[in-house]
Amino acid sequence: MSASATGLPTTRRTSPGEFFAQYGIVLVLVVLVVSMTILSPILREGQQLFLTPRNLIQVLLQAAINAIIAVGMTYVITSGGIDLSVGSIVALCGVLSAMVMRDVNTFNLFGLTFSLDGPIGAVMGFGVAVGVGTLCGFANGLLITRLNLSPFIATLGTMGIFRGIALVISEGRSIYGFDQEFKNFFAGRIPINETLELPIAVIIAILIAIVFWFFLTQTRLGKYTIAIGGSEETARVAGISVQRHKVGLYALCGFLTGIAGALLLARLNSGDPTFGGLFELNAIAAVVMGGTRLSGGQGSISGTIVGALIISLVQNAMNIFNVPSYWQQVVIGTVIVFAVVLDQQRRRASRY
Amino acid sequence: MNNLEKLLTIDHISKAYGAVQALKSVSFDLFRGEIVALVGDNGAGKSTLVKILSGLIQPTSGNLIFKGRPVHFRTPADALAYGIETVYQHLALVEQLDVADNVYLGRETYRWGAVGRWLGVLDRRHMREQTATALSQLHIKIPAPTLPVSSMSGGQRQAVAIGRAVTWGRELLILDEPTAALGVEETEQVLQMIEKLRDQQGISMLIISHNMQDVYRIADRIVVLRQGRHVATINKPDTSPQEIVAYITGAKEAQVAPV
Repeated sequence: MSASATGLPTTRRTSPGEFFAQYGIVLVLVVLVVSMTILSPILREGQQLFLTPRNLIQVLLQAAINAIIAVGMTYVITSGGIDLSVGSIVALCGVLSAMVMRDVNTFNLFGLTFSLDGPIGAVMGFGVAVGVGTLCGFANGLLITRLNLSPFIATLGTMGIFRGIALVISEGRSIYGFDQEFKNFFAGRIPINETLELPIAVIIAILIAIVFWFFLTQTRLGKYTIAIGGSEETARVAGISVQRHKVGLYALCGFLTGIAGALLLARLNSGDPTFGGLFELNAIAAVVMGGTRLSGGQGSISGTIVGALIISLVQNAMNIFNVPSYWQQVVIGTVIVFAVVLDQQRRRASRY
Repeated sequence: MNNLEKLLTIDHISKAYGAVQALKSVSFDLFRGEIVALVGDNGAGKSTLVKILSGLIQPTSGNLIFKGRPVHFRTPADALAYGIETVYQHLALVEQLDVADNVYLGRETYRWGAVGRWLGVLDRRHMREQTATALSQLHIKIPAPTLPVSSMSGGQRQAVAIGRAVTWGRELLILDEPTAALGVEETEQVLQMIEKLRDQQGISMLIISHNMQDVYRIADRIVVLRQGRHVATINKPDTSPQEIVAYITGAKEAQVAPV
């Protein structure tokens, strides 16, 4: 309880409904972990397959790529928008990055030839993925602000366009045979102790979550994003350049999706134009489960991270219990519907 | 009025939307420290004029002269930079932000020096303290600057919105239907606040209202628009609410010759 400048308490008593609405998602995460810990040995002949360092790190690794995209999606949705093209951006980034690393081996400058294998090639590959992702997001932002398209329609269009470009330039084939340094680093692990190694992807995801939590809650970027999502016209008459800010948000989402694309490329060791299918579904699911409102004006990075962990846990649980992977989509879809129902109840609870 | 300083001259302002002429060569002056009511029926061009004065749209032709110099407002930020603040009926505050975040919306202060400014790290403590001070100086009572706007009453919101505008609007305050959404008691509070602002701080105000009683009570002069035309400018002592209504409806012919 903090006291305000006028000496009155600033916090109200929270009702049980509000409490559940705010922290319910963390409760879901805890229940999932506990029940998996209990159920895993019962259903799999006494073997504890779930609560092992190895498996838990697998859960984090599975969550990492989705979490990175979902952080960008959190900003876009908080501003009242949506980005359906992230899955296609992942594919395009992967294909282009792999092709550049495979085909551009040397580089001439002032008569000198530099080799682009090894670490320089890896950096170049990462730069291509991130650059392409940012440009794609920038294009989304321009379509939405300059042509006055709804974000849903604009990114539905670019979802097809980006995927199509990836298919065209790769001629529909996977791209192999690129820089091993790239794979070694971005799919690598950093040892914590003798038995535990933390994947680079997880470390990157944690850093991104912290940085963009800070930006959403403590800076002008976050405040303007919330203001635009809350009331775009109010933000405009307050003198904020709403259009420029929105373009920036889609570029940010594309930038983070580019990082995710690079990490996926390293992990799967090939760039494929069909990768990233349904990534938008998983990212939006994580965001909505985490309490960010689809109507805009309110967003939570910590909630999004919990959401991404829940999706990863559900997938992990189904793998442990040998549920066919096709069912996973049914479950994730159901989870989205459930999350939106929860969001509506939250809204009712906060209206008094 | 000649002894008063001219603040803003609206000089033959016209605005066309395609074939529709929303404003037809409207001209009048605003003087320092007076309250001018802008009245007219729906579609008379009031909102169009307000949008032009606040930089949301640009006139098709005509000039704005501010303190003797021609000005062009290309964006709302331009008008705000001249100390012209507009409180819109429905667009005053962002519900999801708290009072201090709203008062400082678009005018944030930052901490952590140059790095903080570059990153846009908000100095919320400073903004909250300043908000509490500014609002209490205007005798606006809210429980706390950290209160989310969504939990406040209509009167509180309007008071905060006007308080926000006064905090920044050094020259001219434009109020769009300031009492339309309020109850009797809240309306009275807001009207008293407006009168106090003029009498104690000498701020010029342009008030758009449908409520003839309110207009007649607080305005020094009344500007009437009808179908995009400026039909009358009347000093309050020379008129009655009935006469104003007659000008609005067209029962009384235009006093200002078309130019």
